[in-house]
Amino acid sequence: MAGEQVEKRVKYKSSVKDPGTPGFLRIKEGMLLFVPNDPKSDSKLKVQTQNITQKFTKEGSNKPPWLNLTIKQLLGRSHIFEFENYPDMHACRDFITALGKSDEEPKKAAVLTSTEQLSIKELEIRFKLLRENSELQRLHKQFVESKVLTEDEFWATRKKLLGKDSIRKSKQQLGLKSMMVSGIKPSTDGRTNRVTFNLTPEIIFQIFAEKPAVRQAFINYVPSKMTEKDFWTKYFRAEYLYSTKNTAVAAAEAAEDEELAVFLKPDEILARETRQKIRRVDPTLDMEADEGDDYSHLMDHGIQRDGTMDVVEPQNDQFKRSLLQDLNRHAAVVLEGRSIDVDSEDTRIVAEALTRVKQVSKGDGETTKDANQERLERMSRVAGMEDLQAPQNFPLAPLSIKDPRDYFESQQGNVVNVPGVAKGLKRNVHEAYGLLKESIVEIRATGLSDPLIKPEVSFEVFSSLTRTISTAKNIIGKNPRECFLDRLPKSTKDEVLHHWTSIQELPRHFWSSYPITTPYLHTKVGKLKDAMSNTYSKLDAMKESVQSDLRHQVSLLVRPMQQALDAAFQHYEADLQRRTAKSSGGERPNGYV
Amino acid sequence: MIFKIEDVTVYFPYDNIYPEQYEYMVELKRTLDAKGHCLLEMPTGTGKTIALLSLITSYRLSRPDSPIKLVYCTRTVHEMEKTLAELKVLHDYQVLHLGTQAKILAIGLSSRKNLCVNTKVLAAENRDSVDAACRKRTASWVRALSTEKPNIELCDYFENYEKAAENALLPPGVYTLEDLRAFGNNRGWCPYFLARHMVQFANVIVYSYQYLLDPKVAGIISKELQKESVVVFDEAHNIDNVCIEALSVSVRRVTLEGANRNLNKMKHEIDRFKATDAGRLRAEYNRLVEGLALRGDLSGGDQWLANPALPHDILKEAVPGNIRRAEHFVHVLRRLLQYLGVRLDTENVEKESPVSFVSSLNSQAGIEQKTLKFCYDRLQSLMLTLEITDTDEFLPIQTVCDFATLVGTYARGFSIIIEPYDERMPHIPDPILQLSCHDASLAIKPVFDRFQSVVITSGTLSPIDLYPRLLSFTPVVSRSFKMSMTRDCICPMVLTRGSDQLPVSTKFDMRSDPGVVRNYGKLLVEMVSIVPDGVVCFFVSYSYMDGIIATWNETGILKEIVQQKLVFIETQDVVETTLALDNYRRACDCGRGAVFFSVARGKVAEGIDFDRHYGRVVVMYGVPFQYTLSKILLARLEYLRDTFQIKEGDFLTFDALRQAAQCVGRVIRSKADYGMMIFADKRYSRHDKRSKLPGWILSHLRDAHLNLSTDMAIHNAREFLRKMAQPYDKTGTMGRKTLLTQEDLEKMAETGVQDMAY
Repeated sequence: MAGEQVEKRVKYKSSVKDPGTPGFLRIKEGMLLFVPNDPKSDSKLKVQTQNITQKFTKEGSNKPPWLNLTIKQLLGRSHIFEFENYPDMHACRDFITALGKSDEEPKKAAVLTSTEQLSIKELEIRFKLLRENSELQRLHKQFVESKVLTEDEFWATRKKLLGKDSIRKSKQQLGLKSMMVSGIKPSTDGRTNRVTFNLTPEIIFQIFAEKPAVRQAFINYVPSKMTEKDFWTKYFRAEYLYSTKNTAVAAAEAAEDEELAVFLKPDEILARETRQKIRRVDPTLDMEADEGDDYSHLMDHGIQRDGTMDVVEPQNDQFKRSLLQDLNRHAAVVLEGRSIDVDSEDTRIVAEALTRVKQVSKGDGETTKDANQERLERMSRVAGMEDLQAPQNFPLAPLSIKDPRDYFESQQGNVVNVPGVAKGLKRNVHEAYGLLKESIVEIRATGLSDPLIKPEVSFEVFSSLTRTISTAKNIIGKNPRECFLDRLPKSTKDEVLHHWTSIQELPRHFWSSYPITTPYLHTKVGKLKDAMSNTYSKLDAMKESVQSDLRHQVSLLVRPMQQALDAAFQHYEADLQRRTAKSSGGERPNGYV
Repeated sequence: MIFKIEDVTVYFPYDNIYPEQYEYMVELKRTLDAKGHCLLEMPTGTGKTIALLSLITSYRLSRPDSPIKLVYCTRTVHEMEKTLAELKVLHDYQVLHLGTQAKILAIGLSSRKNLCVNTKVLAAENRDSVDAACRKRTASWVRALSTEKPNIELCDYFENYEKAAENALLPPGVYTLEDLRAFGNNRGWCPYFLARHMVQFANVIVYSYQYLLDPKVAGIISKELQKESVVVFDEAHNIDNVCIEALSVSVRRVTLEGANRNLNKMKHEIDRFKATDAGRLRAEYNRLVEGLALRGDLSGGDQWLANPALPHDILKEAVPGNIRRAEHFVHVLRRLLQYLGVRLDTENVEKESPVSFVSSLNSQAGIEQKTLKFCYDRLQSLMLTLEITDTDEFLPIQTVCDFATLVGTYARGFSIIIEPYDERMPHIPDPILQLSCHDASLAIKPVFDRFQSVVITSGTLSPIDLYPRLLSFTPVVSRSFKMSMTRDCICPMVLTRGSDQLPVSTKFDMRSDPGVVRNYGKLLVEMVSIVPDGVVCFFVSYSYMDGIIATWNETGILKEIVQQKLVFIETQDVVETTLALDNYRRACDCGRGAVFFSVARGKVAEGIDFDRHYGRVVVMYGVPFQYTLSKILLARLEYLRDTFQIKEGDFLTFDALRQAAQCVGRVIRSKADYGMMIFADKRYSRHDKRSKLPGWILSHLRDAHLNLSTDMAIHNAREFLRKMAQPYDKTGTMGRKTLLTQEDLEKMAETGVQDMAY
């Protein structure tokens, strides 16, 4: 809806008898604009589209197509627009109706006051969120159940979580680990020649995905011909033969054992898939086509042995498979991701599901038209030079970070690890801050320019910020990566984190209640203030209780939290004083309780 | 934007233009005006291709009375596709502004393998069998025969195309290979023959180098191009190698065995014809007495590869008497095979000039030089007479005849080298007789002579004065452009030591040192953990890459790399490499990040771009020298020293450094792009090596970055990446304009180009 607009040629009448001013009616989201053709005319009109009621003349009646808009906010003043024809009018009408709806929706959600009106679906979502997020659950328990906040107040600040996106996001599939399967090393008991492999469903899935022939063999042989254990024993025997690189032995064993040979032979299913994929490859990197065009290197033509092309032992030996091929194949499978939604321990089910998926994708391969089209579009898009033309706006994918804390800490680790930070950056925090201040002043003076902030400035500010935070944190730690929090006893650490989240929660509600315009808000602020002073004293208690060597650090951590609370208390006191002063003054401004 | 360069109105499909693109166009225009040849070096990432295309097409539009044709040569098919994609953008823009008069016909041309739409023909495995499968369905005698025997399979696409005859034309537009195939499929016409037919009408032809440089192909495809053509060789830094390769042939044992089998089969056919259709052989004999008039009047399906020697070297005279008769010719070939077999049976490396080879051939096998020279044409005539369609099976005898013709035609610029085994694998006997060309100017000479303007351009043509000597031509314009940078968006570094301060190098005595291998690995491990998106590594050779990856795998370094990014590798199998590249790009697109391992001088290094997020850092492991003990290389160096007074060492360094520059130069595509280049070898810190790098890289190579260890390089990389992530002013700062708008150009036109701040 955003950004859409309707523009029509109309005559504007302030009353029914008005002959009307010809001009344009433009309706955008939230705004209705009438521009008369005659610029000198004073009947320009600009109104909000909220709360519009509309009346209109019916098609077929002998009246001209009129649309009568009444805007409630302006004491029911009505505007009449005469359109050139009916379709124009209907278009406008529908557009306004649609606008009204989209405006209303969020309002409704906010107006709801009791849980009874919530649909079951929404409740389910809330429960689900609470179940999945223990931190949220604790907060909910603490504040809602102790009646500091109502259910709705609690959720009102978390609308985003309730939105549809979050539901979809939680369904995001886990990717595959990038470790190579060939990296699994057997464990030995050290005395005998016996080795043991530990196969997890994850590993089995990877083997099946990377080696369709093994998958097929599993479906064919297990359990009709051999047990699953025998199957895997054979498989690892074959892997062992590969790793010895002794092709003669491999060939000999394959000749004796038909099932073993399956693992040792080149993978035909894979070869077929490859042939299919190569047809869909981006033509700008299709080197196979290139080879098809190269007549200079027709059999024995061109230069053979001048050292530009080097010789590697012949690869065509069928019992030889190179590490390089394995690596490519593995990376391709990881990139494809987990394509099946089967979460089963049963190996056979996994194998069959994978085979099905492959067949489906093969079926898709037949209808390559869309893929082709997309490929061509991409090609023409990439063909252009990016900075010579206006920027293209690509849709953004939301960044999904499981725990922002992890991300932040890993970034700090990076900064601290830089060996020569000190000599690389000469400026200290104050200078960086000074720079930032300077540029803010400059922006005030000259207005915004492109880019907003000079790159050097933002770079300085950014790096010194990260550095101060990390040094403060790491000065005490011997290991730079070790976080201070990890050194606290677990109970204290949890407590600190919990207080931190509740201090994020409470002041948010507190500040959003100002200015206090209803008695409801008044009591709410009171409750919140009590809860906050409660937390404040708890923080003090915690500070006292920690061991002396950690106390300094803990108080450093706690200080910003307490500062936040202090600010809230101050505001509360000041507001209270002002209000008592005003009420004693007698005259109450409109709207104050 | 639309602007004027002197009297030509240039239509450029973007809102802005780089100053170097503008200058490039100015130089190009002067070349076209002078109807001469030129040599232009412009850094990658400054939009050479679009500048070229837009100037030449605009030039054509401004001279409607004498329209020039553009023949654009790329090294690879995928570059051809890229060029056509850019041309499409340009064409759309010109049509938008000028209407239908700006319409042109532009086609890409490739082999049957890439253009055929007949599924049965395409089922054949490789290029040669596709060609043969096509001939089996389209040769004139097969089609004639099919009127009698309806069960002979023909190609419907070709039949439809033949039926449409003169009406089979492509409407104006820009056609990539895919577009041609789609068009062919729609109309039911054969895209390959249609495209070849359209070559004479097209305004722009894009195809690969060899269609112009290799006489075997050029003789068929390009012989009818008019003189008023502008020929462009893009990415031409390796053009000398392409030229000498086009005229080089070698013969192995398998070739001789195959050729013998071919002769047996031909003998059998001759006998059969003698019994059934003796008149045909007699007709051929008569034709040969009159001279070789058969070339030129063949229908499309009958054509083969043309004579391997250059057109101006082939004399128009009658075929010598002793090979006019089919069976005599077969005898002569048998003697030749026998002689070559004897020569292959050597224990030592032998080097000979063509003259002495021909004279010993004459004394020992009784084959004269003139006879040798006609071998190829005589073979072609015989194969047509015998109605042989499975040409792929007759490749060995064709190779031998190519060899004979070349050795009989050229007396200088070539040498013959016989090696009993490959230098690097002495335990495997693999005798080979190589006729190798040393003189790059031979193959390109007819191009310079025939066409009005030849443009040779690339990102790396340093030293620029060497190319006119190697190719022996005089350019009217020869310039090397610098790049005006908006910010320091490339960051070359020379890494000489690992974190443990031990030197790193791929010098022969050091390359397998475990310390070097480990330090190289550690460098990559650190890099993948700090660089976003794509990382590309180039190694000096396949065998080296193979070895080092195996070692990394054993020592766990590979595992550490895989934890950060996916790993894709170029292998010797092109199909696999193509898929690996495709996956690599997808991994970079989706944000997963990947590393690509590749080989300098390999197929990937030759033509794949690692621009934007596809390559934020390129690591060049070692200096990609050629294998200096190769006999062919030594012979070539000797020739260069004797003819051009180019020192061996200089040429080798030049060659190695142009390869290295080519590898690392692919990281940027525009000024908005950025990337790092790490030269990981202590030898790069020496001035004689480093100075051979192109100027635009050198100018960004700071003294502080000349002798780095791994940890310092990592530190620099972090700083660089952080700096690049900041917003910046695209149009350039401090009075230096790096991006010009229409107004800037108009202002410049008034005050003169000199004012442009570089």
